[in-house]
Amino acid sequence: MGDEHDMNDELDVELADELIARAATSLREPVATSAGFDARVMAEVRGRRSRPWLLRARTLRVSPIAGLAAAAAISAVTLLVPRLTTLVVPPVVSTVVPVVATEAARAAATVLATHAADAAGLQYVQFVFVAPAARKVAVVGSFNDWDTAKTQMVRGPGGVWKAMVPLTAGRYTYSFVVDGARWQADASAPRSVDDDFGAPSSVITVAPRP
Amino acid sequence: MSMDLSDGILVRRVREGEVELFAALVARYRDRGARFATRMLGRSEDAEEALQDAFVRAYRALDRCDDPDRFDRWFFSILANRCRTAGARIGRREQTFVAEEEGVPRAAVPHPAERSAWREELDRAVGMLDTDQREAFLLKHVEELSYEEMSEITGATVSALKMRVKRACERLRFTLQGAYTNG
Repeated sequence: MGDEHDMNDELDVELADELIARAATSLREPVATSAGFDARVMAEVRGRRSRPWLLRARTLRVSPIAGLAAAAAISAVTLLVPRLTTLVVPPVVSTVVPVVATEAARAAATVLATHAADAAGLQYVQFVFVAPAARKVAVVGSFNDWDTAKTQMVRGPGGVWKAMVPLTAGRYTYSFVVDGARWQADASAPRSVDDDFGAPSSVITVAPRP
Repeated sequence: MSMDLSDGILVRRVREGEVELFAALVARYRDRGARFATRMLGRSEDAEEALQDAFVRAYRALDRCDDPDRFDRWFFSILANRCRTAGARIGRREQTFVAEEEGVPRAAVPHPAERSAWREELDRAVGMLDTDQREAFLLKHVEELSYEEMSEITGATVSALKMRVKRACERLRFTLQGAYTNG
């Protein structure tokens, strides 16, 4: 009886060790990162991103009706989220925005037309910030060297400021700079643990394209 | 070419301003890091974010890498820390396993062709471990580090780590017994 019990214990131990060994072997299987991972890390390491698309601005021609329709679509999307927020907009939107009739859209169109070329791997992220009393607002972050001059936001109705930024998949920290002096994190986004440069900042993660 | 250089030389030259050489360190530790982070966090998107974060933090803190020849251990300590932070933020266990316990019938969940039932059970079992236990188990049995190396990475004592690994193994055995005998 005792011998039988000991034998069962030994079998249990043997099976258990085999189980752990099999688990470890399975867990050692390689895991690949998504395409461009190294490049994204290095872009953030350098503190600036390579911007070949800046050098390839082009004029986009669309009909006024299509432009107005796109403007209406963008406004609708933005107004659905009146609080501070970020949106991912398909790149195709940029091809129709330049002919929008409104003042705000005209200014945004300049940025979009510049950024529209060679958009492989880029996703257009719209930053929105509500500040009716502000005279000017910029979005700064790890994607533009935290430079307050690089991405000025455009004021729209109701003091809704907007800027469209092309980003590859990855994690970015950012903040808004109001009137050139006041740094403000995005209240609707996760707060950066670092608060880079001692200023409040938020985190956005752009998911890889499916 | 740069891939032939030792960690110590790469770290020193990056510190001296050859930023592009950091890419060789990224390439060298990317796959191991991705595996560890994925096993820790479960979702590849979360793992990749933590890994990217760890590399960027390592670069920014490179002057504080006391032993450039052991960049791997130092980097893994940063990565382990980022995984802990990300894990706490994501609340992965609650999101994943509470939903499962609420009862999608197992038979109704389709298994992707390349993913065996055993593998699914394994990921689930690893995900159910406490963070400390999961980290210790992965470092010991997957990354195959010594307890002394694990201690450097985690800051925990060797005896504490041995206990964590032991408990992780016990829990895994208990959880996986059925899957193993059936699979």
